Amino acid sequence: MLRFRIRTRPRKMASLEGLGSGPEGRLKRLRKHVTALIRHERLETTYAQCDETRGYAEKLITMAVRNGDRDKHTMEMADYWLLEKDLIHKLFKVLVPRYQSLPATATSIHRISTEYPGDGRHMGVLELKGNPWPPVRPQPRNTRLHLHNIQLEEAKKEYHQERLRAKSAAAAVPPEGSSVDGPAGSSVDPDPIDSESESGESKNSGDSSKR
Amino acid sequence: MALLAHVARGCSRIPKLQLEAALSVRFQSTLSHNDTKARRARELRPRRNYLLNDEVEQHRKSLLQQSPEVEEIPVQQAEANVPRDFRHVMPEFLPDPNPLYRDRVTEKLERMDMYRRRTCIDIPEFYVGSIMAVTMADHHAPGKQSRFVGICIQRSGTGLRADFTLRNVIDGQGVEVRFDMYGASLQKIEVLKLEQRLDDELFYLRDAAQEYSTIPFDFEPVPLPKGATVPVNSTKVKLNPRPWLERWERHELKGVEDLNLPEKKYRRARQVAKPWERWDLMKRQRESINEDEEESIMKETYMETESTRRARGRQKASLKKTR
Amino acid sequence: MATSCRSLALLRIFLAKSKPAARCIHTESKVTNSLVREKRNALFESEKQRQLSLVSRIEKIEVQYKGQPEDCTLVMNKNLSTPFNCAMHIEEVVMSRSVLALVNGEPWDMHRPLKESCQLHFMHFEDENPTLANEAFWRSCSFMLGYVLETAFKEQHYVQLCSFPVPNVRSGSFVYDADLGLEDWRPNSIELNTLSRTGFKLFFKEYRFERLKVDASVALNMFADNRFKTTQIPSIASRSESGSTVTVYRMGDHVDITGGPLISNTGQLGRFNVTAFHDIESSSYGPLTRVQGTALPVQLPMHYWSYENIIAKRAQKLNTAPVPELKQAQPLQSSAS
Repeated sequence: MLRFRIRTRPRKMASLEGLGSGPEGRLKRLRKHVTALIRHERLETTYAQCDETRGYAEKLITMAVRNGDRDKHTMEMADYWLLEKDLIHKLFKVLVPRYQSLPATATSIHRISTEYPGDGRHMGVLELKGNPWPPVRPQPRNTRLHLHNIQLEEAKKEYHQERLRAKSAAAAVPPEGSSVDGPAGSSVDPDPIDSESESGESKNSGDSSKR
Repeated sequence: MALLAHVARGCSRIPKLQLEAALSVRFQSTLSHNDTKARRARELRPRRNYLLNDEVEQHRKSLLQQSPEVEEIPVQQAEANVPRDFRHVMPEFLPDPNPLYRDRVTEKLERMDMYRRRTCIDIPEFYVGSIMAVTMADHHAPGKQSRFVGICIQRSGTGLRADFTLRNVIDGQGVEVRFDMYGASLQKIEVLKLEQRLDDELFYLRDAAQEYSTIPFDFEPVPLPKGATVPVNSTKVKLNPRPWLERWERHELKGVEDLNLPEKKYRRARQVAKPWERWDLMKRQRESINEDEEESIMKETYMETESTRRARGRQKASLKKTR
Repeated sequence: MATSCRSLALLRIFLAKSKPAARCIHTESKVTNSLVREKRNALFESEKQRQLSLVSRIEKIEVQYKGQPEDCTLVMNKNLSTPFNCAMHIEEVVMSRSVLALVNGEPWDMHRPLKESCQLHFMHFEDENPTLANEAFWRSCSFMLGYVLETAFKEQHYVQLCSFPVPNVRSGSFVYDADLGLEDWRPNSIELNTLSRTGFKLFFKEYRFERLKVDASVALNMFADNRFKTTQIPSIASRSESGSTVTVYRMGDHVDITGGPLISNTGQLGRFNVTAFHDIESSSYGPLTRVQGTALPVQLPMHYWSYENIIAKRAQKLNTAPVPELKQAQPLQSSAS
């Protein structure tokens, strides 16, 4: 099942020396790309070509996972698409176990910066998941301990504690029908001693001493 | 009119809003400030009522889905053992793969209508090459209905617009009738002989001898043993001499005899042939829908039509023999 | 008007009460914050020059830097080069964003001279674990709050800073406890805004935080006009490594005592707000005013709505850090420590 967008029409590709033009040349070119992808597990070319290759690579892997290597049709397809025949072995013995239970796409595609000066082509990287190379995109850092996030987290905690306290206070007081000090909407200041903003690290009381 | 006269004179004392309002009554959206080329193109572009693969994936991965408050709605698909080739038995239930025409809600509603229709009239399992008899309501015919017998040469359309074409030769004249499968005027559809041919479409019968298309109107139904697979009729049809309606040498027909054409015809056929399409995985993908969606639709169809099939005392859907 | 009359009256009472020790300036004339600041600055400068003159010859040290853009070894001057100077050799980004240095794993001020060959690592606010940087920032903000209190008020009000507690970022506010000499005075919103802006102006000044380790006697001289600091200095000095030194920091012309590392310069300040004034009572020091504020570094932008309505609002609540108490000076250590 394909979890990425498929264009309604295939892209046309430029003809290359030795590969021919038109739809036939396009498929021959894509064969080379798919073979390269399976071999090196990462492909860097124009984004359009990466996108075109992606569909075929994913489909091939999905067929291999679904049908296994005993299926004639799948073997024929693998034989056609993988120009280097040792990759057929890799497809069935390495990639199929890797992607068998993966509930996601087997490939990832990234856009990378256009080189300037240059012809202005939009470049992309297509890679198989689980490849041994360093990640294309930097891993997002954990910002939980950043100063502003700490402040917001503490403010949120305090707010929820306050709400809980208000709720329990409302539950404790039997409802008499009076409208004085409605619990939910009242802006009661929390008891500062009970609040959790204690400076627990203070060893020396009060002096501006060494940490 | 007075306002326009002002404009014609180039008067600038009229408030701008008033002017625009007045003119826009006459000239729709020519003075609208956001009447851009992009906006017009967007309005003319056909709208898509369908979430594409990556959009569904985004929703699947979104943080909202990971909230503990999200309840998983249990899917009511029971463990029905749907035969793998069931999609060939009732192919009209699968939607048109073109994403522009896809709309899951519309498709679901159509399928519901189709199930309901199937409770009224028995639409049996048939394939291209089966001999069928259709009784249709006809206001002008004696008895107010007309019956047509023929060999099914084509099956197309999706949803409620599914159709099939029957061919027969009546009084030396080839006749083809296309019937809407879910049309209200169909009163009875009988499959007199359930079988398959070697091709998906039998249009070459138009260029073949009439014997191949003649089916007597009193054709006796041929019963099949229970649980049998659909037989494949491997008749090789002999075509009439050229001229033909189509260049049959270019069609990769399996159900015709050797065409006996000059070599250059075959050479030209090889030149215009597209053998690479056999390997084009994405072309197949574009001609069908996602496999999981296909599976779920077929499961639903199987379960909904199961009761109808049983009620009619029919055999269980026999597996199509894969060619 | 009533407030100012009252405060003037209070000021006279205060002057009558407190008899500063000898060596404070202008015993007969009025003590003002600006005069005191000038004096402290002059003393700091002279001490700094004296310590600089002690470095007779320039020796070289090897500093091994580990981090972005690449690991390298720098040859720097002993007791003269600072981590900031090392950063100048590495990259401008490292130079501008670095808040704190880790010298052999120990937190080190950016403008504190390196003593020996070491391993250097920089910290900034957007690290995965910027705890040390956050604490340094909070400490620096308390320091800057002290500056605000000493500079914002008019000449006739003499403010004496007491101390500030150990920084606790999670409390939501930084604190300075001081004796403002103004009883029952609470700033209105405009005055709070003015105080905040006095602090924020430091961002444009880009003052460096200069560290100096001075002898307790020099410190006593510097802070002779502050009745709190004079009592604190002996106990601080006794707890120091050598037994008689006190760490002072200067920012612009404001000098104060604080132990831990501070940030590199005030240009790293993004937002600064003085949020609340609370009354506290100390058993050692008597009634004090707890001034609270909140701030954010320039590296961490935030929308004004969240900052004003969530963070600054929370910073108005009384900070439950312990009230300043005088700690007795430890007996002098026998052997050299």
